[in-house]
Amino acid sequence: MHELTWGLPVILYLFLGGLGAGAGAVSASVLLRSGGGDQAGLGFKIARCGALIAPIPVILGTGLIVLELGTFQAGNWFRFINLFKVINLSPMSIGSWVLGLFIMVSLVYAYTFLKADPHPGDDRHQLRKLSAWAMVILGVGVALYTGILLGAMPARPFWNSPILAMLFLVSALSTGVAVILLGRSVFGKHVDKEGKTTSDAYLLASSDMLLIGFEILVIFLFIMYSHLTIGSVKVAMGVILGGELTTLFWFGFVFLGLLLPILIELKYVIPTLLFQKQYEIPRSMEVLVSVLVLIGGFLLRYVVVIAGQITGSIGI
Amino acid sequence: MLNRRNFMKLSAASATIGLCGATVLTQAADLPEWGNKGYSRKTGRERKMVPSACYQCVTRCPNVTYIEDDRIVKIEGQLNSIRSEGVMCAKGQGGVNQANDPDRILYPLRRVGKRGEGQWKRVSWDEALTELSGRLKKLKDEGTPEKFMFHYGRMKSSTSKMVKSAFLATYGTGTIGNHTSICEGGKWVAQEFTWGGHFDTWDFDNTRFVLNFGSNALEAGTNHIPTSHRLIRAMAERNVRMVTFDVRLSNTAAKSSEWVPIKPGTDLAVVLAMCNVVMSEDLYQGDGEAFLKYCKATRDNFASVEEKVAALKKHFAQYTAEWAEKESGVSASLIRRIAREFATAHPAVVISYRGAVAHYNGNDTERAIQTLASITGNIDNPGGRCKAVGPKWKYPHGPHDKPKARKLALMDGPKGAAVSPNHHMSHNILKMIKDGSAGRPEIYMTYTYTPVYANGEVQENIDILKDESLIPFFVSINPFYDESAALADLILPEPPYPERWDWEDMVSPVQIAEYYIRQPGTKPLGETRDFGDVVCELAERLDMPLGFKTKKEFVQKSCEMTPLIKAVGGFEYMKKQGVYHDPKAKPVFFSYMKEVPAEKYEQETVILDDETGVYWDWKKAHLHSEEEAIKKGYAHTKKAYKAYVGQLIGNTVYSGFKPDKVNKSGYMELYSNLLEDKGVPPLPTWTKAPEHEAMDTDDLIMTTYKVATQIHSRSANCKFLTELYHKNPAWINPVEAKKRNIADGDMIKVKSAIGEIEIEARVTPAINLGVLAISHHCGHWQYGRYASGNKAPTGQDNDPDLDRIWWKGDQGEHPNWIIANAPDPVNGQMRWMDTVVKVRKA
Amino acid sequence: MSESKQQVSRRDFIKKMATGSAAVATTTVSSVALPAEKNKRYAMVIDTRRCVGCQACSVACKTENDVPLGETRNWVEYIEKGEFPNVRRSFLPRLCNHCEDPQCVSVCPTGATYKRKEDGIVVVDSDVCIGCKYCIQACPYGMRFINPKTGTADKCDFCLHRVEKGLVPSCVNTCQGRARIFGDLNDPQSEVSQLVATNATTVLRPEMGTGPMVFYIDADHTDERDAEKQGIYVRIDTHRRQQKRV
Ligand SMILES: Nc1nc2c(c(=O)[nH]1)N[C@H]1C(S)=C(S)[C@@H](COP(=O)(O)OP(=O)(O)OC[C@H]3O[C@@H](n4cnc5c(=O)[nH]c(N)nc54)[C@H](O)[C@@H]3O)O[C@H]1N2
Ligand SMILES: Nc1nc2c(c(=O)[nH]1)N[C@H]1C(S)=C(S)[C@@H](COP(=O)(O)OP(=O)(O)OC[C@H]3O[C@@H](n4cnc5c(=O)[nH]c(N)nc54)[C@H](O)[C@@H]3O)O[C@H]1N2
Ligand code: SF4
Ligand code: SF4
Ligand code: SF4
Ligand code: SF4
Ligand code: SF4
Ligand SMILES: [Mo]
Repeated sequence: MHELTWGLPVILYLFLGGLGAGAGAVSASVLLRSGGGDQAGLGFKIARCGALIAPIPVILGTGLIVLELGTFQAGNWFRFINLFKVINLSPMSIGSWVLGLFIMVSLVYAYTFLKADPHPGDDRHQLRKLSAWAMVILGVGVALYTGILLGAMPARPFWNSPILAMLFLVSALSTGVAVILLGRSVFGKHVDKEGKTTSDAYLLASSDMLLIGFEILVIFLFIMYSHLTIGSVKVAMGVILGGELTTLFWFGFVFLGLLLPILIELKYVIPTLLFQKQYEIPRSMEVLVSVLVLIGGFLLRYVVVIAGQITGSIGI
Repeated sequence: MLNRRNFMKLSAASATIGLCGATVLTQAADLPEWGNKGYSRKTGRERKMVPSACYQCVTRCPNVTYIEDDRIVKIEGQLNSIRSEGVMCAKGQGGVNQANDPDRILYPLRRVGKRGEGQWKRVSWDEALTELSGRLKKLKDEGTPEKFMFHYGRMKSSTSKMVKSAFLATYGTGTIGNHTSICEGGKWVAQEFTWGGHFDTWDFDNTRFVLNFGSNALEAGTNHIPTSHRLIRAMAERNVRMVTFDVRLSNTAAKSSEWVPIKPGTDLAVVLAMCNVVMSEDLYQGDGEAFLKYCKATRDNFASVEEKVAALKKHFAQYTAEWAEKESGVSASLIRRIAREFATAHPAVVISYRGAVAHYNGNDTERAIQTLASITGNIDNPGGRCKAVGPKWKYPHGPHDKPKARKLALMDGPKGAAVSPNHHMSHNILKMIKDGSAGRPEIYMTYTYTPVYANGEVQENIDILKDESLIPFFVSINPFYDESAALADLILPEPPYPERWDWEDMVSPVQIAEYYIRQPGTKPLGETRDFGDVVCELAERLDMPLGFKTKKEFVQKSCEMTPLIKAVGGFEYMKKQGVYHDPKAKPVFFSYMKEVPAEKYEQETVILDDETGVYWDWKKAHLHSEEEAIKKGYAHTKKAYKAYVGQLIGNTVYSGFKPDKVNKSGYMELYSNLLEDKGVPPLPTWTKAPEHEAMDTDDLIMTTYKVATQIHSRSANCKFLTELYHKNPAWINPVEAKKRNIADGDMIKVKSAIGEIEIEARVTPAINLGVLAISHHCGHWQYGRYASGNKAPTGQDNDPDLDRIWWKGDQGEHPNWIIANAPDPVNGQMRWMDTVVKVRKA
Repeated sequence: MSESKQQVSRRDFIKKMATGSAAVATTTVSSVALPAEKNKRYAMVIDTRRCVGCQACSVACKTENDVPLGETRNWVEYIEKGEFPNVRRSFLPRLCNHCEDPQCVSVCPTGATYKRKEDGIVVVDSDVCIGCKYCIQACPYGMRFINPKTGTADKCDFCLHRVEKGLVPSCVNTCQGRARIFGDLNDPQSEVSQLVATNATTVLRPEMGTGPMVFYIDADHTDERDAEKQGIYVRIDTHRRQQKRV
């Protein structure tokens, strides 16, 4: 058994970082898609929600990862600054810069939504639009990099796959959507008298569904490829295909985090999608779906981070 | 090109010219220097280096000690040593931990609560020595100095001379116990009966074949590093073959060309059968036959070689390989093959240690091994089994007038327990004290010895030591709080060896004597005092000054008194260089062939003994006249061996195999009249432990062993060693395990005639059927936090590693709780490897 | 035996180095004396035929480098194998490979870990390291740990503080089998070069592409999993806190 050098703080960081980055990227792309946010309405509201959420988990996660630094634990609290004294080709170096930029830009971006009555065309409009462009790039960057960070090492066969970055990106976006959905349904006022969300959630729910579908596909590829191979990777995959982490992976991540939410969403989206019916979903269901997606996102990071560390090269 | 071998030659050469100081080692510019120079990791500055000597184990390799900020930070092998050639084992490296153990005892402690309760009071040295010398004085004044019993374990060289020859002798007690019988006393006795001296060396540098009975030479051994690194070299560079008989796959067996699993206690059968092969197939012809001239193989000391051959052929005829196979489980064909290989290798060396001798039949096992070496001509020859060569220090002996020592007859065990316990029966001393028939000591003092832990029957040892009516005053001289010190009344703290002075004298595997000293790297920590210094002060307090006041002075005087050392600069030279050997000295082989000059045996008080052919000096044997000497005869005069001059063989007087402990002749005695007269078969003869005869089918024999990274109980406080080896699972063969439904890692119960322990099982094919093997290094309940988790009464918290003891609570189990203190009936050796046990899943 | 047993001849090796690093000037074994300013390439050869598993190296390393309990820069694996009575135990000393292409270096975000140009030793600058543990994940040999005293990454540094002063590492001079040979691989006359050139040496996990600078002679590459597949008993003891081989 290999040691767990990276524990819960790193897992949470990967999860929160992805979530924030996802929320930011989703928010920005919704904003930009709706004509650069030039019109008020549905898109703008969603964008605002994502923009206000995005920096928080990322900053939180970054704080957590500092806690995990050996030097911080040894009482050398500001040593992490060394990260920003150089830039090199290490995924962590690039990642840190991207992360740093993301945090700054996401704060600016959030700032543009802060006003009591933010609306398209207000005096922060230009800044908002500009930062939104950056948010898309940086959000995808942060989400991708968390996967590259892990995937870059042959020493960790479980991680050592380009698909991992893909998986992390999709998962980040999906959790980003989920957190916006959650934020909307908890704090938002888009609920009618019967307690059903109004149709403006349709965009989110359907894209979330798509993302989850995509994620399932990526997971399928991830497992297929790893399973078909031999040697270290195959042995490493063993931990989720009949090893210590199998239940957590299949029941926790795949069933609870992917299948269940997509099934629920299907139930509500299908009528709209196929029969152009009004999109209606009970608020409780909306909360449930987003929470499940978030749990799934966390479990994915959890299983992957642990599995990567308890497996290694075989042979000597 | 400078390859490794050339390099070693070079360093040996520079050592030989004596040129090579602490740091000079000329070599090709591109090749990094080997060492004996060190730099601080923190500052990069060169560290202070002090040549000294290891004392983790009995081997006592010369070393160098590095000092930084007044602490000993690193120990390394001494490059200029011809014995170790700079190599050092894990234990030697771990010696820094001895000096820096946070659980060291730093000042004298006097018991306050009940004995063994762990309540202590710090006292000054003056208080402690006032009490001790008061008690000693009282005994002396009452004319009963023998009621002061001194019991030591590892005490050698200058310390032994100061303490035993000077202090105890001047005081007048002869009640002095050692630990030899729990160690290798049996091997010593057997050698004393054959070739006289107690120690053998193995010339791996010149041998072509190594036959090993129960020596774990690559992990342990009393001349460990000097021999083991030569053994590896022989195997790696000269393709020397080695065959190891062991009950389990020791690392030595693992590195051997062949491992032969053998039933415990049956090496004797195999060796006897090998002797049979050599004699019956006439493989003795050649070197063996030539050597038989110097051997005694019949009752008659003047028998011809033909007669000896005939006698040996006749005796060994009964021990066929097929017979041995039944006893030992080793196949007859293998016995024959190895015997032939050994006999024809020329030179070949047969080695043996505690695996062969710590048994009921150990005495004859070792005698049979000596016989096998003799009949193949592999005795004291290059590449063979040689008589030990060590330095001869001169030293001050203390006051000239010493009383005749009085002693309590506690040391040799109960009457009749052993025929010839030349090195006592240490493991029975506490029993003897309990028994009381030979009297009891008023003061029992131990030195580098833990009677509780090192002997069998741990519980009884504890009970006796705890009982103030049996032992009124118990003093432990100890740097550490061991299981025995915990039961003492007074603990006098000694600094561990890196902080002490000594001259040293361990034997040399190259047959050239090496002189070396131990010197302190730093001042003794706290108030600790070298016991050598303490006995000087005690002597002063008892009005019997020894003529030297400290160990340092003793060492210094010895350096100036020893001609070879004096000639090169005496004490100052030794302080600087640490080691010295005579560059002109030639390796000593065939010492027995040396002729005794006529003027020696023609001296007035020297006569020829008709019975044995021994020339002896009756005056030296404390006899009064030649007539008396002739009448009594050499063999029957007490301690006549001290008066031995030479052995007449044919018309020549040879120095022969000089006796050292018994009145043997100058022959290599394969046949012992002395033993015969005591009712023991004169030639090596098969016997078997009675309890092995009576074993149930599901019984196992429990043996014990040592590992490369621990020394007895003594190194468990060394954090880096104990980190590597801290628990001692019982090895058991998968077949035996399956029968008992035991899986690897299960807890098992091991029950002997005297008790039961619970221990983890290690199911492994690396052990023979019918055997259980448990090392004796683990299972401490004292000895500080690294060993047992328990803090010593004076323990400090200044070592951050104390918080990182990751093996806490996983510290193994000591096997000695269930091993009986039983002796080999001939030589008194403790039978460590004979215990019959029942094993079941816990 | 695993399929990873691979023989690295000196020629291959030089080829590798020539492509891998600009530091190498020679291309043939029989090259004449090298210019004095030529960089060194320190390497170790471990002749397992001479290793008896005595652990002197492990302890020497701990004392020389003050390695805290629970962590190890050097360890010796015991590989016990076979069925009674045909059992063998072999020994595999492990330490940092000072890889030619070390992943610990390529992942380090701060540059704290780097390979020294002048001698190829891979070191950690503990004044720069932040303790992110990325290098620990990246080393295919499990050679790295966080030193609890400093919170920074730590591992064997070939005893840099000794080597810099012209001394061999501490584990080398104590080795009772003289199984560990240290020297400059760029010097064809050095013992390591000679040994690598004239023996069938192997390196650990060559498939990782790290180009280890620790070469083994007669190493036992047995892996527990392979053995299990073949139904052979194998037990590997590391004597470390991390009891399984990494
Ligand atoms: N590392 C280390 N070295 C030491 C010491 C130490 O404690 N640790 N102590 C020193 C001292 S004081 C001594 S006396 C020596 C002892 O040195 P050795 O006698 O060489 O060592 P032991 O381990 O006591 O026993 C040797 C071997 O005997 C085997 N054995 C047991 N029973 C039998 C048997 O019936 N037949 C055969 N053929 N083999 C058997 C054991 O499995 C073991 O491998 O070592 C010295 N050197
Ligand atoms: N089961 C089993 N038991 C065995 C053996 C075995 O193979 N199996 N081996 C036996 C053998 S070969 C031997 S030689 C004996 C050894 O037995 P002992 O002679 O008793 O030797 P140790 O157990 O090494 O240490 C004795 C004590 O010396 C103290 N000590 C350590 N350093 C110093 C010092 O510098 N000065 C002083 N004054 N004291 C010090 C420590 O407190 C330690 O408890 O054990 C025997 N016991
Ligand atoms: S063999 Fe004994 S004396 Fe020599 S270094 Fe090892 S422990 Fe010290
Ligand atoms: S063995 Fe590991 S730590 Fe050492 S250089 Fe190679 S990758 Fe880096
Ligand atoms: S732990 Fe230190 S040496 Fe390792 S990658 Fe991080 S900064 Fe670099
Ligand atoms: S070279 Fe130095 S740091 Fe590396 S294993 Fe050897 S002793 Fe330890
Ligand atoms: S010191 Fe040498 S012989 Fe001993 S374990 Fe280490 S490499 Fe092997
Ligand atoms: Mo011993």
